[in-house]
Amino acid sequence: MEEYQYVVLKKELFNDFIVRLAGIKKLIAPIAKGYNNFAYEEVRSGEQIALKYIPTILPAKKYFMPRNETLLEFSTGKKSNVEAFIEYESLTLFGLHTCDIAGIQCLNMALSERPKDYNYLARKNFITIIGLECNEYCDEFASCHLVNASFPSGGYDLLFTDAGEYFIVHINTESGEEIVNITEIFNKAESLHLNELTKIRENKRKVFSNEVPIERRHIPELFDRSFRSNVWKEIGERCLSCGNCTNVCPTCYCFDIRDELELDMKHGRRYRVWDSCQLEPFAKVAGGFNFRKERFVRQRHRYYRKFRYPVDKFSRFFCTGCGRCTRTCMANISLKETLNQLVKESEDRVWKRWL
Amino acid sequence: MKKPKIAFFDFACCEGCQLQVANMGEGVLDVLAAFDVVEWREVMSEKWDKKYDVAIIEGSITDNHAVKRIKKIRKKTDILLAYGSCATIGGVNGMKNNFELDDIRKYVYGESYKFFPTEITKAVHQVVKVDYFVNGCPVYIPEFVTVLKAVLQGIPYYVPDYAVCVECKLNENVCMYAKGITCLGPLTRAGCNSWCINNGNICYGCRGMVSNPNEKSAQDILAKYNIPIELIMNKMNMYNKCREIV
Ligand code: SF4
Ligand code: SF4
Ligand code: SF4
Ligand code: SF4
Ligand code: SF4
Repeated sequence: MEEYQYVVLKKELFNDFIVRLAGIKKLIAPIAKGYNNFAYEEVRSGEQIALKYIPTILPAKKYFMPRNETLLEFSTGKKSNVEAFIEYESLTLFGLHTCDIAGIQCLNMALSERPKDYNYLARKNFITIIGLECNEYCDEFASCHLVNASFPSGGYDLLFTDAGEYFIVHINTESGEEIVNITEIFNKAESLHLNELTKIRENKRKVFSNEVPIERRHIPELFDRSFRSNVWKEIGERCLSCGNCTNVCPTCYCFDIRDELELDMKHGRRYRVWDSCQLEPFAKVAGGFNFRKERFVRQRHRYYRKFRYPVDKFSRFFCTGCGRCTRTCMANISLKETLNQLVKESEDRVWKRWL
Repeated sequence: MKKPKIAFFDFACCEGCQLQVANMGEGVLDVLAAFDVVEWREVMSEKWDKKYDVAIIEGSITDNHAVKRIKKIRKKTDILLAYGSCATIGGVNGMKNNFELDDIRKYVYGESYKFFPTEITKAVHQVVKVDYFVNGCPVYIPEFVTVLKAVLQGIPYYVPDYAVCVECKLNENVCMYAKGITCLGPLTRAGCNSWCINNGNICYGCRGMVSNPNEKSAQDILAKYNIPIELIMNKMNMYNKCREIV
């Protein structure tokens, strides 16, 4: 820890800070929607923000890949014309937990692959990210420690850590530093503040531990062994295929592209919308064949898409442990429970081999 | 391009879906610019006895006269569009199918019930071929416009075959289940942009069920919330009773 990378914001100045921040560009932060539900929305003052919140209904991906995004506008007829579009807005996102920052890191990797997603990549350059570290668990559905997302590891411009009377703020990028300079509200961090930060992190190490009894590095193997597991069948029987679990997942990025003409049949636009592998029509191809017709195959695919395939491709899990999929599932299909069942089943199998 | 001739017809229904078009505001001008409306009882008195390109059918088929009339319309039109829950899934009129036909006739018409023949309620596609479906009670105008565009282009329109929850989530509504209230969204076909939930109501299932609902699991979920299955079947039957005769 280098002192010059840290500044301090007194809690009583928080509201002033937010007002100033909102003056720089449009500011997005978590707000309470009732019934312990939260959402990222535009805010102008500190009081609007829910500083203590569990992961929002939709993750911050809605700002990086809008759910209905124009890609082209065109006109038909003799003088046909096509114009490509990149819609973007300059934004600051405040208050992202480390799991949500990890989600954006995943999207960055997946969408930088060739063919690159230029719309996403262009848009992301206009978004500033200010993180807010969790000192304790949001709730029992989280599994962020298992996937290495409970502690900060980059991906943000500034990171706030709550130290009671004040926030300790880590400056990670030039745009982060710019915010500190423009708002003129932070104090230099002294060694006492940094000691406090060390203490908070030490304490966190006691609070957070693997939420499922397995070591991180053994997860890919577990999945290699579990493709034919009965656990998938059992989940498939319960799943309603409502698509909620993927729509709320910070690392799901599948989309569909459509063309629509105006009623005059002369002008139109090509746009993309979020899609979900859990929906029955998703894997339906020409001729009516559906290569993931059964629910259990679709659910299994979702889990392998989080814990197995990306490990080979990107050397990381595409689960951030945010727990959204579990919270949103009416059928009570729980990510932690599924992993627990897989671990248990796999252990039983090992025992049987020994007996 | 010559404007396609379009005609509206109503069968057993409340005509509320047609009213939706009348309520479209300026949007209706774009529709009128693209089509040539030749018959529409609710807004004009003219009748048209030649062929039309597009017939928009509102209402379900509930007696012999209706069967004859819809078959005649089918013969006179290139494209037939079922419009609203009554036409697409039988809708509220399907509740009649809960009873013996004679009982329901006596109940409605009293002593002289014999003079009022009736048949079990059917959705339009259960009687004649339907080319386009616009579900909903009432229809959701943005979807109707999308279907009209498909008609103009001569391409099919597929009613979404996934749950209302998809749209509901994207609208970031607090889920009714989180409030301890049951909602038919997980079983009902999307396409209305989760209209009711956006406005603080539950989904009543007016667009009909997805083609392959997980009924077993849905029942388990209801049990979890201590909701009697009959209550939900009643709710679902309010719009979906005709499903059983397909
Ligand atoms: S949220 Fe639950 S019920 Fe819905 S698709 Fe996902 S696992 Fe299935
Ligand atoms: S799979 Fe579930 S817990 Fe993991 S990132 Fe997605 S929503 Fe969060
Ligand atoms: S999942 Fe972990 S990082 Fe995310 S909000 Fe919960 S405790 Fe914080
Ligand atoms: S409120 Fe209804 S439609 Fe919306 S997510 Fe919940 S169950 Fe689905
Ligand atoms: S939310 Fe449900 S009841 Fe309301 S319009 Fe949509 S399908 Fe019909």
